[in-house]
Amino acid sequence: MNSSIGVGGMPAASWVSTTSVSASGKRIQREMVELNSDPPPDCSAGPKGDNLYNWVSTIIGPTGTPYEGGIFFLDIIFPSEYPFKPPKVIFKTRIYHCNVDSAGNVWLDILKDSWSPALTITKVLLAIRSMFTNPDTYCPIVVDIAHMYLADRAKHDELAAEWTLRFAK
Amino acid sequence: MESEEESKASPQDQKQQNPVAENGDGLFSPRFKSVAAMAGWDEEAILVAALVVEDTPDRLCKHKKRTGLQFKTPPSNSRRKRRAQRRSPVSIPIVVLDLDEEQSAKGESEQTKVEVKNVSIEEKRTEEEKKTAVGELKIEENSGVSCSNSVLPCIDKLREELSCAICLEICYEPSTTTCGHSFCKKCLRSAADKCGKRCPKCRQLISNGRSCTVNTVLWNTIQLLFPQEIEARKAGGALNNPEENEHRSPTRGNQYNVRTRSSRPSLASTSSQTSSTRRRGIPSQDEDAEHRILGRGIHNNVESRRPASVLHRDGTMRRRGRPSQDEVAATALRLERENLARLLGRDGSVRSWRITSDDEDAVLALRLQREEFMDAFRENPDQSNRTSLSSARSNLRAMASRAINIRTRRHPI
Repeated sequence: MNSSIGVGGMPAASWVSTTSVSASGKRIQREMVELNSDPPPDCSAGPKGDNLYNWVSTIIGPTGTPYEGGIFFLDIIFPSEYPFKPPKVIFKTRIYHCNVDSAGNVWLDILKDSWSPALTITKVLLAIRSMFTNPDTYCPIVVDIAHMYLADRAKHDELAAEWTLRFAK
Repeated sequence: MESEEESKASPQDQKQQNPVAENGDGLFSPRFKSVAAMAGWDEEAILVAALVVEDTPDRLCKHKKRTGLQFKTPPSNSRRKRRAQRRSPVSIPIVVLDLDEEQSAKGESEQTKVEVKNVSIEEKRTEEEKKTAVGELKIEENSGVSCSNSVLPCIDKLREELSCAICLEICYEPSTTTCGHSFCKKCLRSAADKCGKRCPKCRQLISNGRSCTVNTVLWNTIQLLFPQEIEARKAGGALNNPEENEHRSPTRGNQYNVRTRSSRPSLASTSSQTSSTRRRGIPSQDEDAEHRILGRGIHNNVESRRPASVLHRDGTMRRRGRPSQDEVAATALRLERENLARLLGRDGSVRSWRITSDDEDAVLALRLQREEFMDAFRENPDQSNRTSLSSARSNLRAMASRAINIRTRRHPI
């Protein structure tokens, strides 16, 4: 298992009281219920502790990818304006991927400019999962990895598998 | 049982009397009772309501005439039928939404509720629908599911379909974009404010994100299909942000009106009829028309409760007797009661509207009037609020004194 699943490293910037039944809180609760009743494949997510706005999630590396068999932990932080502002998704498990920077930030368009309030965490997790199979090499955050992916796919996959074995198993 | 004897003696009622034993258990079929229970009426309430109906001779007279003219049904033994006939005049002007017909299968359970609240259109149709709906309700009751929505097998899909993608709840005052996607009005507005003028679902440009209009058909459908959710949300909204609620209370009044009007397009005619019928028996007051309509509804309620309660067999105070004729007021009052019950933190189930104390009734009446009044004078809510408060208070005082008068007149101690 991975050592980097630290909880303490999380910034508590967007902490919002869980007792408030705000619109965002309601929506998050509803998403939680839906996620529990019908979870997306190989994904799980739920509040880390008492704070409804601070979730932890796991995604199992899909088969047929270099990430196969790895368990990737992610932190999800909901802003108080959720769902009108996107949640922040951070990989707590290190991953060799051109769309995840060294701090674990996921650079997905739907988590930035293309966010829509109609998107849910389920959809976000599915998008991240599909990111494993199809890295977005057109707007990468780690350019080296993207180049490697395009130039030498075998090497890229090898490295990614190695990282997965090292950090995610 | 004084009143029953009285009503037996009254000439109008003579023909309608039948040898059915006048006791609560024999009067109503278990099916009817189950339907009534769904609408929050327990057996006693129905019984008391029936007594109250029989207690108002001038109404009966009118009913009878109408009944004779309009319905060629043979005199039946069923008490239920008689009640339906009796209350039909009031309900005739009430046109049930077309939605009902379109989705009669979907909205049946809801309709039953409404019907039990005496909103019947035609007696025949009512009977038919009642039968089918009762059957369904029974099944549902047996399965132990209390929510009327579960009658429909596709209700989950409907719920999903009619949910707002932004708040993930049943659309509240749905507004439809030009690209055809519907969201809660509030949600869509917030989305347009905070996320740009694009449809949250398909990202198409929405020309006028600010000026959202409510999709009336959809809103009515939702209200018919998910009355409990909508009520809960209304109450929840009031509970969660009282200051905001206070702030937008005129709009709330408006919503309220949309609700009653939309489900009964001819509210005005119904009410005017109601009040004109009423004016015969009760001297009219110097108030504005709209005020009077509602005031009377409550008034009637307050007034009739006392005789009924006094009359009850074991002499205990039964406070829930209410006239079954006053659809508009009674329905509105019931909804208000539900709201208030939730506000008071009571259990939100169907029966929770049973708030019994007179004080609470007064509060309710007040609130109801205020809302209606606010709507009428939306331009200056503050002022109207104050005037409605004072007039409601005086009105209530008048009601109370009249109720006592009637009570003593009828049943001299």
